Amino acid sequence: MAGLIMNHHEEFMAEAMAMAEEALAAGEVPVGCVFVRDRNIIARARNRTNQLRNATRHAELEAIDEILADPVLTPPGSSNAYPLSDTTLYVTVEPCIMCASALRQMGIKEVFYGCANDRFGGCEGVIGVNEAVQHPSHPPYKATGGMLREAAILILRRFYVTENTNAPVPKSKANRVLKTEISPP
Amino acid sequence: MASSGNLQNPAQCLVKNSPGKGRGVFAATSIPRHSIVEISPVLLFTKEEYEQHGKYTILDSYTFKWKNGSMALALGLGSLFNHSDSPNVSYTIDACTDSIRYIAARNIEPDEELCIYYGHNLWFDPAGAKAAVPKDELDADGWGGLTNLQPEIPSDDAIVPEEDLPFERFKPPPEEETAESIRTVQAWAVDVPDQRSIGPMLKWLKHSEVDADELGHLKRVRKQGETSTFLLNVSPEAPALPQDIQLSEPFLVKVPSSAALTTTSLAFKNVLWPTTYAPRRKGEADDWSMGKVVQEALRRRQQGELPVAAYVPTPYEASDDSSFMAHDTRQSAAHPLRHAVMNVIRHIADDRARSEDEPQTARNGTNYLLTSRILFTTHEPCIMCSMALLHSRVKEVVYLIPMEKTGGCGGSICLPTLPGVNHRFGICRWKGGTIDEAGLQLGCVNGFIEL
Repeated sequence: MAGLIMNHHEEFMAEAMAMAEEALAAGEVPVGCVFVRDRNIIARARNRTNQLRNATRHAELEAIDEILADPVLTPPGSSNAYPLSDTTLYVTVEPCIMCASALRQMGIKEVFYGCANDRFGGCEGVIGVNEAVQHPSHPPYKATGGMLREAAILILRRFYVTENTNAPVPKSKANRVLKTEISPP
Repeated sequence: MASSGNLQNPAQCLVKNSPGKGRGVFAATSIPRHSIVEISPVLLFTKEEYEQHGKYTILDSYTFKWKNGSMALALGLGSLFNHSDSPNVSYTIDACTDSIRYIAARNIEPDEELCIYYGHNLWFDPAGAKAAVPKDELDADGWGGLTNLQPEIPSDDAIVPEEDLPFERFKPPPEEETAESIRTVQAWAVDVPDQRSIGPMLKWLKHSEVDADELGHLKRVRKQGETSTFLLNVSPEAPALPQDIQLSEPFLVKVPSSAALTTTSLAFKNVLWPTTYAPRRKGEADDWSMGKVVQEALRRRQQGELPVAAYVPTPYEASDDSSFMAHDTRQSAAHPLRHAVMNVIRHIADDRARSEDEPQTARNGTNYLLTSRILFTTHEPCIMCSMALLHSRVKEVVYLIPMEKTGGCGGSICLPTLPGVNHRFGICRWKGGTIDEAGLQLGCVNGFIEL
């Protein structure tokens, strides 16, 4: 990225990446996100699954709770069934199936993500909850991957290559090295 | 009396036809409380004799369990008393003379039928056990009954045929309450020393703000001698009382927190406070997990929520209660993602975090909250909730109402069968027609119809 002028999408994704770094420093799977409304970041969040003892506390859900709890961002008594209809998400890793469904139920405007998630990605990684899966009422949303993809993969590798005492079954990873070569998507 | 063909014993008891019951025992004149209405010597059968012969005859409908495994047939009028849930005759065993003594439990009017309580057959065996029950208790409710007379038990309470059950399961023996295991709650009560104040007090209660919904399973008034005690409520502070009625200071009393489901439970609970007897009726949602979760959903609907609930029962092998119940709070929280399943996962996580000694030692893997746990829910979980369950490593999901267009457990998509996902869980759909689903339908409320 050095030497290039970042467009506003990349600026927001860089902010999301900063949240992923914070997650890594806290011993969490490094995924971060920002929610943007009118070109302003209205919420930043990262994974807190370990801290909260809850494997469902992904960055996106943390941020959504923050937005809905804020009376300025979400005026009480609003009749809008879709509180995020004018809000865009930037997240370092493709939202998982749970988050992809949550975002659709919230009526998110659009999603940009870094790298895909072939284990449980919900925006085409495994299944397209955002668009391809039919829903009787919730409108589909567009999800675009690939933005700062290499950085998102690298930070995940840094997490998994670390001698990780937080793994479900701790394994010695002493012989592992951080690969920096990234194959095309 | 001879002209009517009815038999009469010295204590003014008549034997005549009781409509629908065959022969029964009736009062020929008024009988005062505590008077002996009959002493029946018993004919004893040895255990072997009864096992080999007696139980295959009509005797099996009449005999009592006696000590040492013997079976006793009451002579005299003893075998002719019919059953009543509110008997007016109690009876005690006289092991010295091998007889049963029948006593009026209250004042009995002329021509009233005399009935006993065909209690639990175990109560009588051994005979000495009756000494543990105060005499007043016996007299008050006819408790102390003890035969193995089964035919009077209404057939409605018969066990549902196994093939009609929505599943096959291991049935542990029924959990009978003991004096120690009864759950209680502290409630405010007040003594009314003057009998003449009872009427005004009842009238006041009817119009007062004193809310006794949570005490609806208890009798309002307990009479002990000349004193009547009124149950008030369970508020943290003593409730305000009428100024114009002479009352004692309100005080806290330990009362049962639910109605009695069995007569054994009733006897124990009545010791604390007069309690309603509410045996389970056929068709009523029972305490199967699915019944519980449906009841919770219906209760929450009355409070303005969507009628959706999720329940994670205590694992069978666990000794402590570690069950979790949650309901949908999309309405009250004004949050489209507050589904019952997400809420129950959060409850479990919060509980887990609270119970940990060192909150700093968060580890990947300790947050797989539902490992080896089963989740029951009224409605098929949506895609978000299904994936949350997968993230939490749930073992099995049991739902009642399928969500064909939005569900993540086979309705719209079937999550645990998707390629790549890193956990599989079982899915059970509760058989239709086994639980009343009325009241669980989801309309389109504020555009939220998904689960």
